[in-house]
Amino acid sequence: MKAIRLASKILKTLTKDRMHYPERLIVDTLSVVARFGVLIILYSYVFKINGGIINNTTFVVAAWSMFFYFSFMILGLRNISKVIMQDVKTGNVEVLFSKPISYIFYRFWWQIGLGLYSFVVITIVGGLALYLAIGFPSTFTSSIFIFSVPFIFLGGVILSLILYGIVGLLAFWIQDINPVFWIVDKAVMILGGSYLPVALFPLLMYKIALYSPFGASQFLTHSVYESWQSNWYELFSVQFLWIVILGFTLYFMFRGAKKKVSVNGG
Amino acid sequence: MNSNNSIMVSKLNKEFSFSVKKVSSSWLKNLFTSEKRTIKAVSDVSFEVKEGERIAFIGPNGAGKSTTIKMLTGILFPSSGEVNVLGFNPSKDRKKLAYKIGTVFGQRSQLLPNLPLTDSFEFFGVMYDMTNEEIKKRTNELVDLFDLGSFIDQPVRKLSLGQRMRAEVAVSLIHRPRVIFLDEPTIGLDIVAKKSLRDLLLKINEEEKVTIFLTSHDVSDIESICNRTIIINNGTVVKDLPTTELSKSFLTKKNIDLIPKDSFDNFPILPNGMEYSLKEKNKLTVMVDINTISIQESIKKLLDLFETEDIDIYNTGLESIIRHIYESNSSSK
Repeated sequence: MKAIRLASKILKTLTKDRMHYPERLIVDTLSVVARFGVLIILYSYVFKINGGIINNTTFVVAAWSMFFYFSFMILGLRNISKVIMQDVKTGNVEVLFSKPISYIFYRFWWQIGLGLYSFVVITIVGGLALYLAIGFPSTFTSSIFIFSVPFIFLGGVILSLILYGIVGLLAFWIQDINPVFWIVDKAVMILGGSYLPVALFPLLMYKIALYSPFGASQFLTHSVYESWQSNWYELFSVQFLWIVILGFTLYFMFRGAKKKVSVNGG
Repeated sequence: MNSNNSIMVSKLNKEFSFSVKKVSSSWLKNLFTSEKRTIKAVSDVSFEVKEGERIAFIGPNGAGKSTTIKMLTGILFPSSGEVNVLGFNPSKDRKKLAYKIGTVFGQRSQLLPNLPLTDSFEFFGVMYDMTNEEIKKRTNELVDLFDLGSFIDQPVRKLSLGQRMRAEVAVSLIHRPRVIFLDEPTIGLDIVAKKSLRDLLLKINEEEKVTIFLTSHDVSDIESICNRTIIINNGTVVKDLPTTELSKSFLTKKNIDLIPKDSFDNFPILPNGMEYSLKEKNKLTVMVDINTISIQESIKKLLDLFETEDIDIYNTGLESIIRHIYESNSSSK
């Protein structure tokens, strides 16, 4: 009960914080419009010169898949790695360790809270704009899609936090996690379908996207495809498995990390 | 642990080990066979603190005071020894203990920078599992006690450093802790803000019986707040005595300042019981141990040795005393 109250307080406080500074929302919106807008224009042209369908996928489906990716990215969960690294480097970790909280869960909720306001606003406004521009794919009306999207989104949030949390915890051992962060982040971007919609992946890359934790954290992007109707339970299982495996890894790493805390000047 | 004790530390040790690369070896060899070195940051530290005491825990940089405080608050795990704070073992019961203690790290803020101060009170109140009623009541008490009313609705980042530090201490008291650990709380504050914060700390100690455990490099903090001083150097406790005794133990030491008629060019060897503590062309200071040589005799000696324009005799200040303890301990090592 206390954990839920604290989580809710973190989300409310940070949403209030973000609402006090609307310029942050403008920056987030511009960043999505710039990246997503360029890719959408590019792919609309690519689909057009290929007769409207590539790999049994229409432009509308590919565009919504990419929108899901960018919308998810607005949450900024990846930044938890850098926040943990900063905590370690600046010694802020000791302030949080002196509170009656679990550091890692606190950081998880904090990270969600930081991106929640922009995520909700941009997803609603962006989704509406995209609907008005190109319409919905037919898969959106299927009961499997409607039922599964909240869960695959939630699984993606949990897996992303765990994955990037593990990268962040490495800071307790190696201080500068930037090279590792770069590799993991690029793997998630590519296998999640930020540059190229997953439906257009070559077979080997598609398999890697399906069975690696990097791709599994972005399964939301798969939910718009026709194939989702038949393989959703398989993808759910893969995502769940990675959550369990990496969840344990995070747990044991955090136990080790607590013993690695050092203090400046001590 | 005695029921009157807030803190009990017995034979506490903390070692840090790290790998050292050999300059002469290749990077590949260093990668697999780098030498492990161990530093003993805290060595056999023992002390007890009674409820309501105001402790200054001081020492030079790298003495081990921060490491000790972090072990008392459960942030660091001891290598060996025993720690008990309010009946809890900090490394095993960190979260339970956190409900009973407050912490203020002078160089790190725990407040929410973009939001008004009221939000920080509410946020930490929820963190400490207080009801909304309790948070409201306690916030009002602290706003009155710390005189925060004039800036309670301002975003924290717009507060002056003095206002922010008062707010930091007030927020750390939201859950009525029984012990508060303060790591350099007055760092960077001007003299007015320092005095205000010191007065407030004394007030919460008096009114709420909060045990104060303070580290500071500012001697005035120690003199005005703490009734007991523990000095740590090279990881070991070198003095543990009432703050007033600290000055008394040096009452047999007097300082004599001499101002030259022209300038001092040479500094001859002084007799037993007298030593230079400052040697400059336009001023020198000599510390005299009156158990060895009387003041009268020492002045006579100095006037024989130096052509003097002015002379001043005074007791040794706490800052000089502490410096003397640090230096004598370092040189004995």
